Amino acid sequence: MNGAQHILEAFHRHQIDTVFGYPGGCIMPLYDALVDSVGIEHVLCRHEQGCALAADGYARASGRLGVCIATSGPGATNLITGVANAHRDSIPMLVITGQVPSALIGTDAFQETDVLGMALGIVKHSYLVTDPAELPAIMEEAIHLAQDGRPGPVWVDIPKDILLTDIPPTAMAPITPVATAPCAIDEALALLSEARRPLLYSGGGVSLAGAEQAFRQFADQAGIPSVVTLKGIGNHSRHDPYHLGMLGMHGSRGANLAVDACDLLMVVGARLDDRATGKLDGFAPNARVIHIDADAAEFNKLRKADIALNGDLGSLMQAFTQATSGTPLAIGDWQQQCQEWRATKGFPAADNDEPEAPISGPAFVRQLSRITGDDTVIACDVGQHQMWVAQHYRFAHPRHHLTSGGLGTMGFGLPAAIGAQFACRGKTVINVSGDGSFMMNAQELATIRRYRLPVKLIIMDNQCLGMVRQQQELFYGNRESQINLDDNPDFVAMARAFDIPAISIQRSDQIRRGIETILAYDGPMLLHVAIARQDNVWPIVKPGASNGDMLDEHTQRHQNMSAGQTPTEHPTSSASSAQAPKRNAKENAA
Amino acid sequence: MSQPDQHRIYCEMNPEPAAIERLCQVIRVRGFEVTGMNAELRDGTWEMALTLKGSRPVAMLQSQLEKLHTVNRVHRMPAVAAAQRA
Ligand SMILES: Cc1ncc(C[n+]2csc(CCOP(=O)(O)OP(=O)(O)O)c2C)c(N)n1
Repeated sequence: MNGAQHILEAFHRHQIDTVFGYPGGCIMPLYDALVDSVGIEHVLCRHEQGCALAADGYARASGRLGVCIATSGPGATNLITGVANAHRDSIPMLVITGQVPSALIGTDAFQETDVLGMALGIVKHSYLVTDPAELPAIMEEAIHLAQDGRPGPVWVDIPKDILLTDIPPTAMAPITPVATAPCAIDEALALLSEARRPLLYSGGGVSLAGAEQAFRQFADQAGIPSVVTLKGIGNHSRHDPYHLGMLGMHGSRGANLAVDACDLLMVVGARLDDRATGKLDGFAPNARVIHIDADAAEFNKLRKADIALNGDLGSLMQAFTQATSGTPLAIGDWQQQCQEWRATKGFPAADNDEPEAPISGPAFVRQLSRITGDDTVIACDVGQHQMWVAQHYRFAHPRHHLTSGGLGTMGFGLPAAIGAQFACRGKTVINVSGDGSFMMNAQELATIRRYRLPVKLIIMDNQCLGMVRQQQELFYGNRESQINLDDNPDFVAMARAFDIPAISIQRSDQIRRGIETILAYDGPMLLHVAIARQDNVWPIVKPGASNGDMLDEHTQRHQNMSAGQTPTEHPTSSASSAQAPKRNAKENAA
Repeated sequence: MSQPDQHRIYCEMNPEPAAIERLCQVIRVRGFEVTGMNAELRDGTWEMALTLKGSRPVAMLQSQLEKLHTVNRVHRMPAVAAAQRA
């Protein structure tokens, strides 16, 4: 068995049946071995970034290991953004690259790049295989490490000669995870029972640990009001009466008010990211903190924890549920306050009843949420549309919301949706993208076509880089710079060029029909949605400011008025809300 | 900004490719500067004594270094007293 066959053998041993890759010179021995392999589906994406992001989407949607493969040099460098994306969101990923033959390393050989050096800061661990005999053990360890504890990408770089070397079959014993000693929760329970205004603050760590059920059980039983980070969306039941939604820069006013007012913050599987906390000085100023996480290095990193509990989140949540059952917390007033905030300080978005009115982003996402089923997976891109999805789509489960949180990678959505569709073959998978983001990995339309994936594609087209435009408007004196995309391609024609049917809508009364049409179609379909250029995501906290200083449409309008500006004034553009994008307007769903 | 403090840490690592680079990169990214380094490969283990400068809490750096797969042990040694440094 040669090195390449050993890699496939490791895939089989770990039931890895789907991998995303792109061939080339130094990885050719692995592609040669794939010809004879049974039970591994290799998905050929059209760019290595697409491979890495598809592997990421596969892992997020399923909880399984995502695997991507590329050749040396440009293949490996093209993976970088996707691997960094997985690293920032702790996604379990195995990255395999071919390297130039051992004897050529360090000679500036054709397609040689120092992958090990380049990727150090964006991996959980990485290997350059230097001894063929070590390859089987490295594969075993890499697969284990990527999924163990706090997951992350592990990169194995293998010189071509090692892929071709005969290596005797080795009996690999699976690595058993080191069991962490259960930590005592007594002190945390004491803080919890003393608290009058406790708040649960949960993030992506809950689903990464497979602790969704245990977490919900605790939240439902204890009745503690709650907020979530972008990656924690879906952690709570949609009917949880004390849940205030996402906090932070584009969080709900209610969520940020609750953080401000709470006297105990119970942080579960979250790392207190600056987009969530705002300026740290002003964050939860009156609260003691219980921090529960799989990664001890997160404790006290940004906010001092009064109690830190490190370990498996599922077991810890079960322990809390057991310990608090039968002893309700005395937090009735606080629950009532939070319920009131839930009712009055959520995300405002009026559905536009005017049939001819242009489509607003939030109204569109609300309709999408109402029409799609509970089991739908949404893969977002990055920008305003991503925030509208986070604010207005009601997710039933955290693994249904695929979003690039830590890195904020435009171009994530389409390949992630492809990966998710491979992971969840029977589910409806929808990519919600912006016109800017969509163009970053549009080549993956060819992957959808090749595999006839029934992915639904939605482009919310505001003919600009909306999120940047919004910040330029609010924080840079409305000086628009390089955000205009009014020369976008005709997206409908573009999809059709890939044999993907497409329709376009631009009026409020077309929303329902448009969504229903793509959902009903048996196969991939694209819905182009022309939305108003100047719509903003509200509320917003200025980067670097405290979450208490939220701006919303009303405060902004007031400020504009006092500055003598009309709310929709644009220095360099005459676009108004009534103006639909020029292209694509010719087709509609009606 | 506060005056950077001097810290001394001792570290044991497996001699994998890029082990030292990885360690140094984490030190830099987490806000510290290496001002002294003594490293020796003994019985298949890198033994490293490092003097660092930085104004962030060194315990934070320690927990980041302990996460590295190649690192087996990180030990903080008594900080260099200001008088000694002068
Ligand atoms: C790869 C990458 N480049 C640049 C950015 C900075 N950025 C964040 S949001 C955004 C605009 C996104 O535009 P679009 O996809 O059209 O979405 P919209 O905000 O209009 O909904 C940009 C440029 C980024 N996050 N990722």
